[in-house]
Amino acid sequence: MQGALTSPVDWHAIAPELVLTAFACLVLVVDLFLAERAKWLAMPLSAIGVLATGAATLSLVGSERTTLSGSYEIDAFALLLKGLFCVIGFIVLAISFDYFRSGIRYQGEYYFLLLCSLLGGLVMSSARDLVTIFIAIELISVPGFIMTGLRKGDPKSNEASLKFFLFGVLSTAVMLYGMSLIYGLSGGATRLDRIREAIDGSGNEPLVMLSVFFVVVGFGFKISAVPFHFWAPDTYEGAPSPVAAFLSTASKIGGFVGLLVLMFKAFPEVADIWRPVFAVLATLTMTVGNLIALKQRHIIRLLAYSGIAQSGYILVALALIDPSSPGVSRQALESALVYIAIYAVMDLGAFAAAVAYARRGGTYFIDDYAGLWQRSPVLATLLTGFLLSLAGAPPMAGAWAKLFVFLATINAQVYWLAVVMGVNAVIAAWYYLAVVKRMFFEAPELEGPVEVPYFLRAVMGVAALALLVVFIYPPVITELAERSIL
Amino acid sequence: MPISYFLVLSALLFSVGIYGVLARQNAVLVLLSIELMLNAANINLVAFSAFLQEAGVAGQVFALFVIAVAAAEVGIGLAIVILIFRNRQSVDVDEMSLMKW
Amino acid sequence: MARSYFSQYLTIGLFLVVSVGLVMGTLQLARLLRPNVPSYEKYTTYESGIDPIGQGWAQTNVRYYIFALLFVVFDVEAVFLFPWAIVFERLGTQALIEMVIFIAILALALLYAVKKKVLDWL
Repeated sequence: MQGALTSPVDWHAIAPELVLTAFACLVLVVDLFLAERAKWLAMPLSAIGVLATGAATLSLVGSERTTLSGSYEIDAFALLLKGLFCVIGFIVLAISFDYFRSGIRYQGEYYFLLLCSLLGGLVMSSARDLVTIFIAIELISVPGFIMTGLRKGDPKSNEASLKFFLFGVLSTAVMLYGMSLIYGLSGGATRLDRIREAIDGSGNEPLVMLSVFFVVVGFGFKISAVPFHFWAPDTYEGAPSPVAAFLSTASKIGGFVGLLVLMFKAFPEVADIWRPVFAVLATLTMTVGNLIALKQRHIIRLLAYSGIAQSGYILVALALIDPSSPGVSRQALESALVYIAIYAVMDLGAFAAAVAYARRGGTYFIDDYAGLWQRSPVLATLLTGFLLSLAGAPPMAGAWAKLFVFLATINAQVYWLAVVMGVNAVIAAWYYLAVVKRMFFEAPELEGPVEVPYFLRAVMGVAALALLVVFIYPPVITELAERSIL
Repeated sequence: MPISYFLVLSALLFSVGIYGVLARQNAVLVLLSIELMLNAANINLVAFSAFLQEAGVAGQVFALFVIAVAAAEVGIGLAIVILIFRNRQSVDVDEMSLMKW
Repeated sequence: MARSYFSQYLTIGLFLVVSVGLVMGTLQLARLLRPNVPSYEKYTTYESGIDPIGQGWAQTNVRYYIFALLFVVFDVEAVFLFPWAIVFERLGTQALIEMVIFIAILALALLYAVKKKVLDWL
């Protein structure tokens, strides 16, 4: 115990988190002293912060280290996800700039909260301890509650915020109860490797099952898996749209990282208990998400349900983990990582296009997307690219994402899940392509050009290009994922 | 005194909390019920930490963090509830139905 | 273990009986001894005060809520300060620096409150 108390901190290992914390505090303070007209400066400052964090992350590439007495681990897995969180943060900042500059009063606070939430994601990537995982997941979601309610006068935003808050806190409580039981069952261990040693499937089976179940339910809320998804569409619709983009990527991915780390590091020995749970969750999530998405007429709600369905595919990978055959587990984790990375970029791209259109001469209703091709060819092409990618169609990276999970499923010989995946891919293609068809083959009902800000246009362009490049040459991402196995 | 007493107490508290979340309509009471659930987890943590001699104090430290997080959540929750009360003069959870499907 | 634990409740029970009995006994004793002269004045709520106006169920100014929030920030900070203070001597300077950073970040909240004029009274 003495040793644990006085163990030195490896400052370089936690440099990305420190940099981001410093910038978050800086944004808050600088915002206090800016005149109302200059408040937008908080955004470039935050963007510099995210880039600096990315640089700090890059400086750690290639090193494997643990610090804070083993509860914090820097490895390829953590670094890949930290990098991904930085990318997400940067794109969300780009989406937010135009949206928040006109209309919403709390710019500085928003960017501060965004950076805090992003910090939670970075912490989650390295957390290898129950306490740290708990703190990280809270750090991701708690600023989200406030960001959702930032449009204070809008009853929808209020309602979205309350729903998100109640479900979020409820899930935390359930997860925490599970964690407290695990702490006891493992004889007082909080570090994941110790828990793994303690819970090896011998004795106390029902209690282990119960506590793992609690933890999975808690995370199920965070990743909006059916049947814990009710909050997601309402929250996304009511929240400021850039916040919805953030919640459906960073917040969800944070939840998945927590799940992956817990399942791989703490509970692989009792995989027989939770593998069927994930299979059922994945099936429900994919199917229900896609079926409800078919009926949506609001683009944000469509993206919300499509996001729910996409979570299902990642859950498939979790349902394949099998400690007795390491090859299968490896492939499952790899496909999950590839899917998470590609999903983040394509989902953010679609959100960016939707926000840009709604702010500049359009609305959120899918009917009003008619004839977008004639009004803004650039935006229509970009949105088509992102939607095709989400549908898993070539020539975008989304096709590989789905294919890798599919191949992992075949390889694990869980054929029925593969069939469910295939059927769902067809259903999903229907509603994505309906939007594309409307943009290209229907006459516009709204008039006037759509002026997308150049910065946002550039960011969307780079995202689309990245998806295209990954489609043409997938090793860009697969090799990264291969090296980043837990 | 055996540890099972504490575990039963915390399980009961957790169940009361879940009942409150599902049955109550006032947002503040739902919030309080969730706090009960968090405290149930805290009781577990502290009890395990006290009974497992080799465990050290990790459970108690965990409980401290939970207390801090719970306080932050209550602060935000009350802020949201007050915001909603200002806009619609009601904090009834069942009336929160502007958005469906 | 369990039995001796519960036997301690017996002491509490005894104390409960004695204390309730003492109060009841003295009140009965006083009733026997004192003269009984009832009058209207004696039955009002405040014999020597001002009659209450309006309902007892008054609304509190919502601004108090913000003070409560600020209180929570620094109240919960104490949760971390106490364990830190106990082991401080064994931890040395590094712990001091870490705690200063921790408090500095919390002080930002106070700065924020001051700048947003939360602490000015109406």
